[in-house]
Amino acid sequence: MDGSVRLDEVVMRFGDFTAIEKTSLAIGSGEFFSFLGPSGCGKTTLLNIVSGFITPSEGQVFIGGEPMAGVPVNRRPTAMIFQNLALFPLMTVFENIEFGLEVRGVDKRQRREVSERLLALVALEGSGPKRVTELSGGQKQRVAIARALAVEPRVLLLDEPLSALDLKLRQHMRAELKAIQRKTGITFIYITHDQGEALTMSDRVAVMSAGRIQQVADPMTLYREPATGFVAAFVGENNRLEARVIDREGERVRLDGGALGELAGRAGPGVRLANGEAAALYVRPEHLRPVAAGAAGPRFDTEIEAVHFEGAWVMLETRLAATGEKLRVQLGHEVSRGQAEALAAGQRMTFAYDPGDAVVLPDDGSPVVDEETGEVVESDRAQAGGAHV
Amino acid sequence: MFRQLQVRFGGPLAMAIVTLLGIWLIVMVTLPQLQMIEYSLKPNLLPAQIGGPEDRLTLANYATLFNNDIHRAIFLKTLWSSVLVTLLTLAVSYPLAWYLAKVATPRQAALCILLLIVPFWINEILRTYSWFIILAFRGPLNEVLMMLGLIERPIRFLSGNGGVMVGMVYAYILFMVFPLYNAIESLDDNQVRAARDLGAGTLRTHRRIVIPHAKPGIATGCIMTFMLAAGSYAVPALLGSPGSRWFTQIIYNWFFEGGNWNQGAAYAFLLLVLCIGFMSLVMKVFKVGLGDIGR
Repeated sequence: MDGSVRLDEVVMRFGDFTAIEKTSLAIGSGEFFSFLGPSGCGKTTLLNIVSGFITPSEGQVFIGGEPMAGVPVNRRPTAMIFQNLALFPLMTVFENIEFGLEVRGVDKRQRREVSERLLALVALEGSGPKRVTELSGGQKQRVAIARALAVEPRVLLLDEPLSALDLKLRQHMRAELKAIQRKTGITFIYITHDQGEALTMSDRVAVMSAGRIQQVADPMTLYREPATGFVAAFVGENNRLEARVIDREGERVRLDGGALGELAGRAGPGVRLANGEAAALYVRPEHLRPVAAGAAGPRFDTEIEAVHFEGAWVMLETRLAATGEKLRVQLGHEVSRGQAEALAAGQRMTFAYDPGDAVVLPDDGSPVVDEETGEVVESDRAQAGGAHV
Repeated sequence: MFRQLQVRFGGPLAMAIVTLLGIWLIVMVTLPQLQMIEYSLKPNLLPAQIGGPEDRLTLANYATLFNNDIHRAIFLKTLWSSVLVTLLTLAVSYPLAWYLAKVATPRQAALCILLLIVPFWINEILRTYSWFIILAFRGPLNEVLMMLGLIERPIRFLSGNGGVMVGMVYAYILFMVFPLYNAIESLDDNQVRAARDLGAGTLRTHRRIVIPHAKPGIATGCIMTFMLAAGSYAVPALLGSPGSRWFTQIIYNWFFEGGNWNQGAAYAFLLLVLCIGFMSLVMKVFKVGLGDIGR
């Protein structure tokens, strides 16, 4: 049996509330798959359905091609790494790691062999006799990984396991998790609200919002070709400009930006855009570059409101002269060098972008971009500590 | 302690609190105990003989217990039965505490706790009397069992230890349920989930995760229940029979029927030693300290 996971028309309802809308999805054996979304989007519920802690209201889960209906948690070929790790505080590191084997009746010598090997894998040799309460945050993390791997799961489920660590350690553990996944070949299903984690580690990412999967794609595609307004706004940073379609030629779309004049962009993947239809143009901050005022082509005349120096780049908060909307601009160090005077609040600047970098999506009024979730996106970004990808 | 109180309440009030506490501890607790010890070490004399040549310290009152086969048997029986009551109460309370702490919704838990507490609004003697009625030879329990056809003739529940056991488990269940509930409630749900996820069944999850975590609560509950059971007078007096006499009844007899306070004091002191011994043993077995129990 392999470690593939398939969700077949899974629906989860709690009373009147639908936590998961009808969802079908196939995750390959040995894949590092992430569910990315704001808190409350249903990603943890989905993880609990795969692990067996929750029985879905409708639909089926298959692991390695076998239906999991009626298979209890303790008989599923999955292991979970909990958000708070849930190490057993009264046991030593050895006892923690060996717990799953003890349950399976593996004899003591063999258990110790396995746990020694796993401690080596997670670079914690010699820590076996310690109490878990003596370990640092990063070490506890590793013990949790070793404990889950000890039962040789075919699927490892990770519920935001890095969220308790500080930024440096988190970034280090990302690389380590990815390396462990490659070494073991186990399917990893990773839940996170941190896009940095999802994008750096995953083979594929499912972006979720309000109980619905918005898009499933590899990280690069997700970033470059968002399929919905939510994905465009949630993954990375984006400036959203409302416009109306003038016409479309292949991928290239010409837009009427109202007071902003004529704009252009590339149609999002598989979206239909009728002439005259309301649309939204997404321009990433790093795709904007300063140009001389009055240059040809789509351009934005702005006034700088705030300048945030981030080291490798400078983030400008500007306001569009024509509409008063906000526009965020990220300038690389090679652009901003020696520009200290020009890059100051109150200065006027004009920016242009390459239409091939900007994505046009239908202005479907998706719940996400509109109001509430727009706010979630903001707070989420604040938490990520300015980790732009 | 005085300094902490002083910081919080100021000098005079702190002094008053410490003084009151001191008076209470010395006058109400320590002095009577010392007096009992003194009583227990002296022979039972007529008022005229007090201060006379026979009024000297002796261990004779303690020796009585070891020389009297019946009293010794009752002492050991009280010890053994109290252990049994403790174990029975634990067995009944653990699933209940688990349900209250981890399974029930807050509403169910509140209702259940209310139902547990309501009977305790009534005096212990009255509650014990009601068990006396329920368990009586021609009482409702026998009637119901006969009506259901489970038994053919009534059972004498009150003739052996059965009635005493039932009465005590009922009387002391709260002293076991609440420490257990507190201990189990503080267990992180994810601990249980993690154990399940790693393949453990229900029994193993309890044995390896829940019970070790709840150990201080179990120890506290067991100590309280044992002390109350060993020192209980009303329950064995009402629900027991001549065949199930409790050591407290012997002490009572020495004091109020035999009029021999010195002998009674010695017996009471032996019971205290028994309880302290049991408590130390439980604390050692469960590897918990006084601090854990205080929590």
